[in-house]
Amino acid sequence: MLSWLKQLDDLLRGRKTAPEQIPSSDFPLPLGVFVPLAILLSGTYGFFMGWYALFAHDSPGYLQLLACMLKLPALFLLTLVVTLPSLYVFNAIIGCRLTFVAMLRLLVGAIVVNVAVAASLGPILAFFTVSTTSYPFMIVLNVVLLTIAGFFGLAFLLQTLRRLAVSRTLQSMDAPEEKKTPDDSAQHKPGAVDRVLFDNAPRVAGDAKLIFHIWIIIYGLVGAQMGWLLRPFVGSPDLPFQWFRPRQGNFFLAVVDSLASLLGRGGSPAG
Amino acid sequence: MRALVSPADQLLRGVGLFDPDALLERSVWLLPLLILAFSPIYGAFMGSYNFVRPDRVLQIVYSAAKMPILLFGTAAVCLPAFFVLNTVLGLRNDLREALHAILAGQAGLSIALASLSPFTRFIYFSSADYRLAQLFNASMFTLATVAGQILMIRYYRVLFRRNRNHRIAFCAWLILYVFVGIQMGWVLRPFIGAPSVAVTFFRAEPFTNAYIVIFNLIFPE
Repeated sequence: MLSWLKQLDDLLRGRKTAPEQIPSSDFPLPLGVFVPLAILLSGTYGFFMGWYALFAHDSPGYLQLLACMLKLPALFLLTLVVTLPSLYVFNAIIGCRLTFVAMLRLLVGAIVVNVAVAASLGPILAFFTVSTTSYPFMIVLNVVLLTIAGFFGLAFLLQTLRRLAVSRTLQSMDAPEEKKTPDDSAQHKPGAVDRVLFDNAPRVAGDAKLIFHIWIIIYGLVGAQMGWLLRPFVGSPDLPFQWFRPRQGNFFLAVVDSLASLLGRGGSPAG
Repeated sequence: MRALVSPADQLLRGVGLFDPDALLERSVWLLPLLILAFSPIYGAFMGSYNFVRPDRVLQIVYSAAKMPILLFGTAAVCLPAFFVLNTVLGLRNDLREALHAILAGQAGLSIALASLSPFTRFIYFSSADYRLAQLFNASMFTLATVAGQILMIRYYRVLFRRNRNHRIAFCAWLILYVFVGIQMGWVLRPFIGAPSVAVTFFRAEPFTNAYIVIFNLIFPE
């Protein structure tokens, strides 16, 4: 367990994806450690998310809490399963030289960064959950917190891809150039989502950005809809517990609705 | 108390024990003490509203006791996120100094509030209007928060020079702290003590959300 925490810490501090580490063309992110970590951390966020069912409902919804703890990991990992094949194919077409396993490791790493930030926001979520009865407020707060966390996951992905592209370029250059890089990074000690500056960055950054945008679009769309399929997460106080809701509508419409009912007082009373 | 006045003075001036460029290890332990010592002063004055009957003394005691809970509680809720944020931004090696800066900001806020407490008492003397009391206390908190930020930035400036990412961490802390702090203050009510309500440590009614209450005040149904 302690060694897992150490590995997680290394990932978050950017040691796993340090520029001088990357040229080995694989990431030191063992799936046997990081997949369970992703499940544990997203389960932690789900645990705090499920508190709403404990406090705002008439009778404590333990089942809803359990459902939340199971659904959050499912959300992240099922989205990965659905998107991985197409991501791999697109990347291969573009000419990204990551192997399938390396790409899987990278994506799992991004998910772990994402859910680690989300779990660290858990106490804030829990505090508001305990003191709020308004269902629309909790929906909006959850969306905001998960968006913040998602932003860090994406930043990790983008910066790692940039480092990858940059280190490839450096590899093909002469030795003195390569020597410069470790010195540079030793000074800055870049974090997991840090931008590493290189002289030739603009050119290689273009490729990384294209791959990144494809990933975001695919993963984001599937993820949002996956979240919608797995509803309910927070659990409306007006409805009885159910594992899944009947299929209807889509994610983006629902967020707009939630905002509208929060501002237009369509939701439960504030008192 | 007297032992803390001199550190408080040095903290406000940013010299001696609290020189931003040469932070001393032992000064870290003074900061929580400063918060514990100074924040209840304002709390006591804040709770002295409607101090007409002996049983209202309790409100003074409660409000004084709740001030450190408010400050430390808010910080405790925000710290995990701040820790992870610093880690992913590559700022973990400076974490000790960042926490020092945050504590300095909190201590500055407490001292500033304590110095503002005579104003609050003065307003209470001038008017018994409860709404005015609420509004005035809110503005004193805002003012003291600005003072706290000035102190915090003084320590963060060293870190800004070292790594630009500290700006992100600083802004994130500010947003998180204010966002959680407002709700924490609301949950820990009453601080002032409405004249019509009996003195209690917490309000008997269930917790509510400050932001929704504020929204309803601005846009009444």
